[in-house]
Amino acid sequence: MIETVGNHEFQYSDARHQSHTAISGMWLFLASETLFFGALFLAWIYARHWRLEGFDLGARHTDMTLGTVNSVILITSSVIYAAGVLYAEAGNMRRLVQCCYAAMAFGVVFLLLKFGLEWHTDFSHHLFPGADFPIKGAARGGAQLFFVFYFMSTALHGLHMLIGLGLVLWIVVRAKRGEFTREYTTPVTVVGLYWAFVDMVWIVLYPLIYLIGRGA
Amino acid sequence: MSTDSYLTDGDTLRSWLLTTDHKRIALLYLFTITGFFFIGGSAAALVRYNLITPEGMIHSAETYNRLFTMHGVVMVWFFLVPAVPVSLGNFLVPLMLGARDLAFPRLNLFSWYLFLLGGFIVLFSLLMGGVDTGWTFYTPLSTAYSQGYVVWCVVGIFISGFSSIATGVNFIVSIHRLRAPGMTWFRMPVFLWSLYATSVILVLATPVLAMTLLLLAFEAIFHIGVFDPALGGDPLLFQHLFWFYSHPAVYVMILPGFGIVSEIIPAFSRKELFGYKFVVWCSIAIAVISFLVWGHHMFVAGTSIYSALVFSILSYMVAVPSAIKVFNWLGTMHKGYIRFDAPMLYALGFVGLFTMGGLTGLFVAALGADVHLTQTYFVVAHFHYVMVGGMVSAFFAGLHYWWPKITGRMYPEMWGRAGALTIFIGFHLTFFPQFILGYLGMPRRYHSYSPEFQTLNVLSSAGTLVLAAGYLLPLAYLTWSLFHGEKARDNPWAATGLEWLTHSPPPTENFAETPRVTGKPYDYPPPEQAAIT
Amino acid sequence: MARRLLVTYGLLLLLLGIEVAGSFLPLGRGARPLILLPAVIMVGIVGLQFMDVRSGPTIVRLFAAGAIIWLVILLGLGSLDPLTRIQYPVPAQTAPESY
Repeated sequence: MIETVGNHEFQYSDARHQSHTAISGMWLFLASETLFFGALFLAWIYARHWRLEGFDLGARHTDMTLGTVNSVILITSSVIYAAGVLYAEAGNMRRLVQCCYAAMAFGVVFLLLKFGLEWHTDFSHHLFPGADFPIKGAARGGAQLFFVFYFMSTALHGLHMLIGLGLVLWIVVRAKRGEFTREYTTPVTVVGLYWAFVDMVWIVLYPLIYLIGRGA
Repeated sequence: MSTDSYLTDGDTLRSWLLTTDHKRIALLYLFTITGFFFIGGSAAALVRYNLITPEGMIHSAETYNRLFTMHGVVMVWFFLVPAVPVSLGNFLVPLMLGARDLAFPRLNLFSWYLFLLGGFIVLFSLLMGGVDTGWTFYTPLSTAYSQGYVVWCVVGIFISGFSSIATGVNFIVSIHRLRAPGMTWFRMPVFLWSLYATSVILVLATPVLAMTLLLLAFEAIFHIGVFDPALGGDPLLFQHLFWFYSHPAVYVMILPGFGIVSEIIPAFSRKELFGYKFVVWCSIAIAVISFLVWGHHMFVAGTSIYSALVFSILSYMVAVPSAIKVFNWLGTMHKGYIRFDAPMLYALGFVGLFTMGGLTGLFVAALGADVHLTQTYFVVAHFHYVMVGGMVSAFFAGLHYWWPKITGRMYPEMWGRAGALTIFIGFHLTFFPQFILGYLGMPRRYHSYSPEFQTLNVLSSAGTLVLAAGYLLPLAYLTWSLFHGEKARDNPWAATGLEWLTHSPPPTENFAETPRVTGKPYDYPPPEQAAIT
Repeated sequence: MARRLLVTYGLLLLLLGIEVAGSFLPLGRGARPLILLPAVIMVGIVGLQFMDVRSGPTIVRLFAAGAIIWLVILLGLGSLDPLTRIQYPVPAQTAPESY
């Protein structure tokens, strides 16, 4: 295989070797992240198990429409970035940049809807666990725990999204500097892995927050 | 290609603090963990000092609680978990692979800074007055009643956890991707396999600890209620999450030790490792099964009896691969030409002490026996036998074995043997009485005790003096050897392994040419032809 | 390539729709978590299609499988205790109004 891109660091035998190594490293990190969120999911299981009534009652106070809209937004963002990766691999860096911008735009809309609108509404209903919590009586414990999970998980997910947006922006910067060619798109792929993972976490969080508790 | 070694390749502070050379990073880490070892050890000395009299020499129970907590926190997270991987591991993994460095050298340096930051924050919390909850931070003491600096301590540990994950990622990817030509998976030395298994645990268990500590901190600060039954939570959730990490963590501590011993015993028996593939598969089995046994720390905590039963059975299973390894080491030594140099003495000490510790683990894995033995000194003795008698002995074994490679100097052999013997004797003196104390019912984590236990306690505390001497000896003579030790040859032990092909100490780029591997590991000549060097 | 991406997109939205519809079914409290099934499929699709699991380096499949297996261990073995714990009756308690 002729190596048109000469630069790779000394410990790699060729550029493809380095590329696969970087991809492997990101995957391993994502495995780690899976367990990080996994621990939070276990907390969800415990809380719902011990205080079923209150927990599900809390869930019914979430905004399902907003949550569903956000899910569509994030999935769309992921698809657009994936398209960007395909364009990069075909050598079309202009389209890559456009896709990155679009993916970022959707991501920003997600964050605005979630933290600007949804959280704001939740706070105005005093749903943040504390003395003003509106659900009282026997269901209070479970409902409050639900909102603890809700705020923690969406905050952590949001933090990961912010990091992801930063990474996508970094790709834009590098692409504009002409650092990518059809033979060298590793960072684009690696950031794509992270962005897809952020999407995956939301795909699991969405039913845990908005759907399961809404019983008949 | 310079004839300089990595030690002389740049002598400014900047060249050390901003290095990406895995060998220099290994030394930075070695220096750091040694510091933490002596801090944790001083806390232990004070704990044993207190236990000389039944009323407690340190009159305040609160102070005693803070001492044993400091001992546990520092020793677990800032010595035992990182020690071998970040010092010997960082130094040797690229060398054993035949590579120039790890897959992600800058991540490696970053991991050291994370470790330092986490360590400083924990030390800060200890200096401010400490934490009295034990290293296990059980709720509700840690979240509602403790007067200590729990949150600061937990933040420090949280940060150091990312250092662990980074190291694990680096090792796994390096082992997959950077093996020298001809080095197939089953031609790798066992030390690499053991670090691979260790890294799997680091990558998959540490993030759970991260979330657990985050939840703990929020519970302590904001009373979110996730561990508080009055608010709908479950205190056992904390314990499940905590031990999901902390049990595999003890295998993080011991697996590299197994790897070190698997290198040393063949070298000093001049015989190939008996049952190489068994040792390899056992390492992987231990890493996997270690994730399935955490509930054995919670037998009397109020979990369901069915869950306890499952965890007990699985705990018996995890002992099997470790036992198999012991037989492999013995089989290696059988009809070998054995030399009792210091590394071998430490390694043999490891085999004996680890076996005792491991067997006593089975006592506490039995549900009925555990009801009597749990939270007593029996458990304390059990884990110190495996962690201190085992892991620390293995660490010293490896340190002595690879000292010539790392520093280019030989340590003084007679002092090395004296150190190994002193540690072995001191260790038994300190910890064997604790098995008896626990069986007789003396509870752990109490600053005072019933008067009939005094003799054994005094014996144990006296043992710590011998043990301390045993630890200070190597500190002294190893430091001495840096300046006055005999210069080492490339392969002073005539051992197999790619690391012995390069100079002692190695040049920055490790190998002048990438080595090619053509034979199996541990390619020692058959016993009849063993060279007598 | 573009076609595959569009089909994937459509599939994901379809599954999202199934999930939402499923949440309106009269499932009992204990059966509600079944709503996660479409979500799990969606995660699989994202993994396979957007993350190059099939065409990337081989070890990636190992790492992905490892992540899933270990998650199952954490959630499965971790749930064993609360699911099988015998709850002894306590006098009815109302949660405190303020903490």
